[in-house]
Amino acid sequence: MKIGLEVHVQLPTKSKMFCSCPTTDAPAPNTHVCPTCLGMPGSRPVLNRQVLVYGIMLAKMLNCTIADTTWFSRKTYFYPDMSKSVQITQYDHPIGIKGVYYLNGRKPIRITRIHLEEDPGKTKRTADMSSLVDYNRSGIPLAEIVTEPDLATPAEAREFLTQLVTDIKHTIDLPESGERSIRCDCNISVGKERCEVKNVTGLKNAERALTYEMVRQVKVLKAGGKIDRETRAFDETRGVTYSVRKKEMESDYGYIDEPDLGIFHVGKFAENIKIKESPLNMTLRLAKQYSIDEAKAKQLVATSTDLAALFEELAQATDIPTALTWSTSTVTANWKAFAARQIPTAGIIDAVKKLHAGKITDTECTLELKSYMTGQSAAATQAASADLDTLIGKYLDEHPEILADCKKNVRAANRVIGYIITQTGGSYSSAEVVASVNGAIRKRL
Amino acid sequence: MGAPVVRATSMDRDIVAKVAKTAHLTLTDAELDRYSRDLREILDYFRVLDEAPNHTGVGVNPVEIADVLRDDVPRQEFSSEDLLKDMKTYKNYIRGPKLS
Amino acid sequence: MTDADTLAGLKRLNNTYQMFHAFTADTDPGDAVFLFSAKDNLTSKDFETCCGSRILEGYRPVFDATAIANLRRAGGKLIGKTNMDEFGFGTFSTNSAFGVPKNPFDRERSCGGSSGGSACAAAILDGHVSLGVSTGGSVCCPASFCGVYGLVPTYGRVSRYGLIDYGNSLDKIGLLARDPAKLKQYLPVIAGKDPHDPTSACQPPLELKGAKIRSVAVPQEAVEGISTDVKNAFENGLETLRSLDVDVEYVDVPELRYAMPAYYILATSEASTNLARYCGMRYGRQDGDYTLGFDAYFSSFRTDYFGDEAKRRILLGTYTRMEGFRDRYYAKALQVRMDVIDAYKRIFAGHDAVLTPTMPFVSPKFADISQMSAVETYKTDFLTVPPNLAGTPHLNCPCGYNAAGLPVGMQFVTDHWQEDKLVTMAAEWNKIFNVRVPEVKA
Repeated sequence: MKIGLEVHVQLPTKSKMFCSCPTTDAPAPNTHVCPTCLGMPGSRPVLNRQVLVYGIMLAKMLNCTIADTTWFSRKTYFYPDMSKSVQITQYDHPIGIKGVYYLNGRKPIRITRIHLEEDPGKTKRTADMSSLVDYNRSGIPLAEIVTEPDLATPAEAREFLTQLVTDIKHTIDLPESGERSIRCDCNISVGKERCEVKNVTGLKNAERALTYEMVRQVKVLKAGGKIDRETRAFDETRGVTYSVRKKEMESDYGYIDEPDLGIFHVGKFAENIKIKESPLNMTLRLAKQYSIDEAKAKQLVATSTDLAALFEELAQATDIPTALTWSTSTVTANWKAFAARQIPTAGIIDAVKKLHAGKITDTECTLELKSYMTGQSAAATQAASADLDTLIGKYLDEHPEILADCKKNVRAANRVIGYIITQTGGSYSSAEVVASVNGAIRKRL
Repeated sequence: MGAPVVRATSMDRDIVAKVAKTAHLTLTDAELDRYSRDLREILDYFRVLDEAPNHTGVGVNPVEIADVLRDDVPRQEFSSEDLLKDMKTYKNYIRGPKLS
Repeated sequence: MTDADTLAGLKRLNNTYQMFHAFTADTDPGDAVFLFSAKDNLTSKDFETCCGSRILEGYRPVFDATAIANLRRAGGKLIGKTNMDEFGFGTFSTNSAFGVPKNPFDRERSCGGSSGGSACAAAILDGHVSLGVSTGGSVCCPASFCGVYGLVPTYGRVSRYGLIDYGNSLDKIGLLARDPAKLKQYLPVIAGKDPHDPTSACQPPLELKGAKIRSVAVPQEAVEGISTDVKNAFENGLETLRSLDVDVEYVDVPELRYAMPAYYILATSEASTNLARYCGMRYGRQDGDYTLGFDAYFSSFRTDYFGDEAKRRILLGTYTRMEGFRDRYYAKALQVRMDVIDAYKRIFAGHDAVLTPTMPFVSPKFADISQMSAVETYKTDFLTVPPNLAGTPHLNCPCGYNAAGLPVGMQFVTDHWQEDKLVTMAAEWNKIFNVRVPEVKA
């Protein structure tokens, strides 16, 4: 079985792709519109710089070759939601081609191309069988990512989409609500001929549509029938796909260059656009580069990619075991407070460096980190920490069996953690409690 | 993107009929004949292009128009009421034909 | 004639010449510094804008085209929207849904097209300037037939914001006037970068410093197949230029014969996509039956309201960009345009301008026009099409009159962005050439 996807992602710009209309939720239909996105005669498109920036970022994320020069094309088709009856899209000079994206960091999924285009408006039916159109969505920028048919199962397709969406969110700061705005066209073939299920919204529906389509195609083939190459739609309520009359054939679009926008030297432009490493790529790289447990790497990255970056700095400044110990304990415990304060990481690095050089003890280092990261005075930190440490010490004294258990199973510490959290009623963050308890046990063992 | 089934050399009625359908124009038989003849004459005249040399440049515009971009700043110049004043609407939706 | 006289006479003149699709009822110019008109494919807030097409009847744009806005800002009063071939599709302004403008020198004859109404207004109204639009010759052709100056600046010199598209990579807004001083006066007003039109954003500054045309190249191909009266007037024009110390040299430019097909392919390919939006929703006529399925609705509406030539060009343009034909026609035409530009650049390396007659004949009679086939009509544009395809600026100068008193024009073409030389030439020419004022009939 072969599955290929065409994924449409709405790009989180503040204004539309070719006009300045806002992209936020509109108070009513046709209120975020202007002559350009309504296709009024005499209006003209002007490209939003940020659309190119996001397009280049995604092309880089997908390891695509970025074109030196790119331009737009006109795809002509007639439907009430497309105000100009022409969609400005990219045809033979897309922004990126020939990429590869690693599923779970391992299985390569080839990316055919990524191109930029405008979203049409939205239609709805009325009782008297005419239509009503809202053009607020008309001109919202989209990136379309096309994969080769490298996905093996509907579950794998969903896994791919989930990972892709996570990475896209991270790369271009797509808001959480952006997930519903991911739409895909799913191509699937069980035998020789493929079907395309158009315009499926959301990750779960993509898997449902593909699963239904897989089962349907297998049934047809088993019964000795043959699969017609066709376009199908997915009914979300009933969970079935059905054949739709294709509105037009690819050959009818009659693509020509879009002369109103000119050309764009994106190759040069792209040199100055850096992207953040995706969380998955960072996890895999940390595990490999520093020979650390993948779970530990994942823990760092999951807390914050900035924390993971700090770990790398600490590893440079001291050594890997020291960096790992401190960045996954005290530093993690106080990360939230630290991040809120927006202060440099230098203070953290200094403390761990002093410890590494033998100038301060574990306890002193813990105190210094807490004080620096939370902004509490050293004395207050020491007092609070002393209180916490006293409480932990007392409990461990009273329950010596815990230490013995801990030798066999690290989870035995949970008993202490649970007790302390209940006792202190939220005056310490759970991360802090965990770090202190683990520290205390480590000292005693 | 399969190759079209139509032949690329002559301008017969079938092609004109297909083109008209794509362009959303309905032609009578007489019109089909007339436009087929006109287009055949015009395309005959275009044959000279086959001899023209090729060129490798980028030809979107006759002068170079490059890297013209707008900042991502939302702004509305026209009110919705003004834009919709001459349109057929229902509760601020714009009316259109049946969807299938 | 004062501006007030002009306004008072508009209705009467329009009854005779039909140069306007819509015009003002004001008889008082108010504090207007000057009066101007604009082709009806430029949007205007105060006049319906129809492009000569029934499909746009009732379109009241919410914005002024930048060129119109700029002229208003300079004190101009827009007195009317001039009649034109539907969407610019024509050489004689006979393809309008709103009447046919009549030639000021002979009302049995055409004003030329597609800015026929603009040329007519420029010829008839004293001190008038009119905005025209040229895609393949739509300013110079009518300027030639109506005996006025017509200037088409470089592609991208004047913002196309508010211009209702024919071919976006070809359309250029220009000026028509009997007095060439108006060209020099108003070109800087309408030129310049406009954030609403990216294709206006890459222009060098417009400098009108009086640069002169010292040498012209006359392509051999351009003087073949033209009528005797045009040939005579043109050759007299060349003589006059020599007397002004302008070098005249005949050259061979074989690439020019590819310009016509390349132009018609690009223009109609682009036009057929531009006209796809006219579907009977949102603006213009919206009186179709919405209970029809969208395909049937769009088809019936477009069939009812597009004129014959619009349909022909939509069909041609849809064909030339269709998969399977696109490479042979559309893609090839893009390459040929670059060949033609290269050919011009080679000439401009040794000459200031290319000079040809503007049209191969004087304005024809409507009765003869109606006998012409589509391809015959297209071929008459062979002199005006090359600079339009190349996006190079060009100028029609009236250069003579035939025995019947009908004007003949010659067309100067300069390199991209060199409007200065054209404006200077027009002023110099006007000192020694007497442009006739048509006798206005009531």
